[in-house]
Amino acid sequence: MTEVSVAGRSYPAVTFQIDREHAAAFARAIGADPGAGVPPTFAAVYSLGATASQLFEDPEAAIDFAKLLHAEQEFAWTRHPQPGETVTSQGRIASDMSRRGMRFVSFETDTKGAGGDEICRSRALFVIRQ
Amino acid sequence: MKRTVTFTKEQIVAYADASGDHNPIHLDDDFARSVGLPGVIAHGMLQMGIAGAVAAETAGGGDRLRRLVCRFSGMVVPGDRVTFSADSAGDGKLEIRAVKENGEAVLTKSSAEYV
Repeated sequence: MTEVSVAGRSYPAVTFQIDREHAAAFARAIGADPGAGVPPTFAAVYSLGATASQLFEDPEAAIDFAKLLHAEQEFAWTRHPQPGETVTSQGRIASDMSRRGMRFVSFETDTKGAGGDEICRSRALFVIRQ
Repeated sequence: MKRTVTFTKEQIVAYADASGDHNPIHLDDDFARSVGLPGVIAHGMLQMGIAGAVAAETAGGGDRLRRLVCRFSGMVVPGDRVTFSADSAGDGKLEIRAVKENGEAVLTKSSAEYV
């Protein structure tokens, strides 16, 4: 087990503006049509990416970045954000367990629109070799 | 829908820049080897991005996707040729696969839902 249990910990909400050019560059990087709007998996940036650094930089969470593997990822969308929209993402550690030399951290992020409506829920499973 | 992609270092760098994920295991061969990898590896999220683009095409547009789940089961390195597919599993569900030329599945237990 880890010394300090961080399961249940929430981080402060982060605001993120959906920039049209940024979304288009992301679309090109994944081989999608940059003119077809915000790619669904841009959630890797506005939801997971906007909040995961808080987890990785949290000294009490003690994530060894060099031994980190991203094992699973889920996005569930209520709707997709539009270019120019400002969204708010908040991350939390849903669970943190160690087993057979591996640590499993489930990190969930909720992304909402300016009016508080749900946009996306991200669930990442990170495995850290110990 | 189906798409075959030959991964390159340039593509991995472009994804690192566009996503903001600059973990050196994706960018620096020496660093990647120092942590036991064969060299730089592609981001799982780059694989998921390509899978999501194929799923969006199959669903009739990205706006229709409601869920995408990927399990990253294998490493993808520059030069690997991977075929991504999204096939209807009925009732608004898609089965997602990504398989290397040698038959190794790199995305498993992966699926999507759309409206």
